[in-house]
Amino acid sequence: MPGELTFMMGKFAAVLPVDFRYARNHMWCREHEGRLRFGFTSYAVRLMKDVYFLDWTVDTGTTLLLKQHIGHIETSKAQSDLFAPIAGRLVEFNKELLRDPSGINVDNYGPGWLFDMEGEIGDTMTAEEYFQFLDAGWETTQRILKGHV
Amino acid sequence: MSSRLTVVVSQAQGKNPAKRALEESIVAALILESGLDVSVVPYLYDLHAEHTGRMFLEGVKGDMCVLTWNFPRASFWLLDRDGIRGHYGESQLKPAVDVDEDEEEAEAQPAKGIGSVEVPERWIYCLDLRDFNNHEPFVQEVRRIAAECRERRANTQAAKADAKPVMVTLGSVLGNGAVNHTEINGKPRFTPEQLLTPPNRRWYPVIDYSRCTNCMECLDFCLFGVYGVDKLDRIAVENQDSCKKGCPACSRVCPEQAIMFPDYKTPAIAGAPVGAIGGLKIDLTKLFGGDVKDALGQAVLERDRELVADGREAVGMAVGIPRRQTGKADGPKDELDNLMDQLDSLDL
Repeated sequence: MPGELTFMMGKFAAVLPVDFRYARNHMWCREHEGRLRFGFTSYAVRLMKDVYFLDWTVDTGTTLLLKQHIGHIETSKAQSDLFAPIAGRLVEFNKELLRDPSGINVDNYGPGWLFDMEGEIGDTMTAEEYFQFLDAGWETTQRILKGHV
Repeated sequence: MSSRLTVVVSQAQGKNPAKRALEESIVAALILESGLDVSVVPYLYDLHAEHTGRMFLEGVKGDMCVLTWNFPRASFWLLDRDGIRGHYGESQLKPAVDVDEDEEEAEAQPAKGIGSVEVPERWIYCLDLRDFNNHEPFVQEVRRIAAECRERRANTQAAKADAKPVMVTLGSVLGNGAVNHTEINGKPRFTPEQLLTPPNRRWYPVIDYSRCTNCMECLDFCLFGVYGVDKLDRIAVENQDSCKKGCPACSRVCPEQAIMFPDYKTPAIAGAPVGAIGGLKIDLTKLFGGDVKDALGQAVLERDRELVADGREAVGMAVGIPRRQTGKADGPKDELDNLMDQLDSLDL
């Protein structure tokens, strides 16, 4: 389909809209009302499966460094610390998700967005670059999964 | 010795409603059971010495079953560290996951660690509340443990009766036949409100003395004065509040993986049971932006970060780097060693 790339994770097709940018921590990024909005890519959501808990450890308004620890997520299959995708100021978290984080599973590119930041897009990737990035890391990712599952 | 089993539910940190509900339904199911004393305390790891919950636990002299949101190995040694000692009660509760056959084979090897000291003749069972999300399995296991403890006491008493004449102890609290040391004149020593005063969150290492060989590498490595030795020249966590929140560096340098941080995200560091990797959640932290180093490199990095945060100089590999004992490679690696290796080799 035009407008998106599809990265195959085994039989699962992870869709990557081409008009979004992508950070190396598997978050997408797009402009929204003058800010940058972030959310999980379908690739990340597929690895995690159903989101149970989402916990942010920084407050809105905080100025973040790239890769600064900002929170934690727990899902049916995984858990992970979460890190800032870019350097900048954290403007707002998606309040809907704080009530019910399963919105991430419902529509991760839409209402399941994570937070808005003010900052530069830095070295975020295009969909094409992100696809290459996923492709290069896919073997290692599978090793992680197989090592545990 | 008390003829009752003390059941203690240690609450989760925070206010997760699902976790609270599980805690409450376990308590509700057990509270009226005969032969059990059921209490609730806050998150075990956070209880400081003056906390009522901790004093309550110290007052329990008989067999105990503690339900926590941590791995049983971490909970057991955490209690041991607080002077609440006993023999390790083996739980038969296993999380409902498929366990690989080859993992089942690994039988417990004889302990090579230095063990605990002054262990009283009572048993402490630790159950992990994360294993199931409904109360039934926990309630059944507590009942089984209660029966097991009754039987053991009966056997011990029979053996004692055969061996020696009855000895009467006068004047001691233990000797007055009090069946329940959590009560005074029939009233609970502590009110639920006192027991549940929320403690502040804490961060410090817990040593598994069944694995610790007293090699002192943690003492050399940690530059924040957390470790010391006790009167018996055994390694001990001396200044736990000097420990740096979130830093598990010493756990990574311990050659026996005897150092646990119960709140750390990586199961092997949080005290995961030996050989239970199959049931654990995948840690995607490395994939989601965490940098990856080998265990020692990671530990050095974490230590340097804390040194700098303290306004001190980073020391890199120059200070307290383990001299990995030469004889170490001789021993067979156990499941936990393999688990740690596996985590280390995930070079992303």
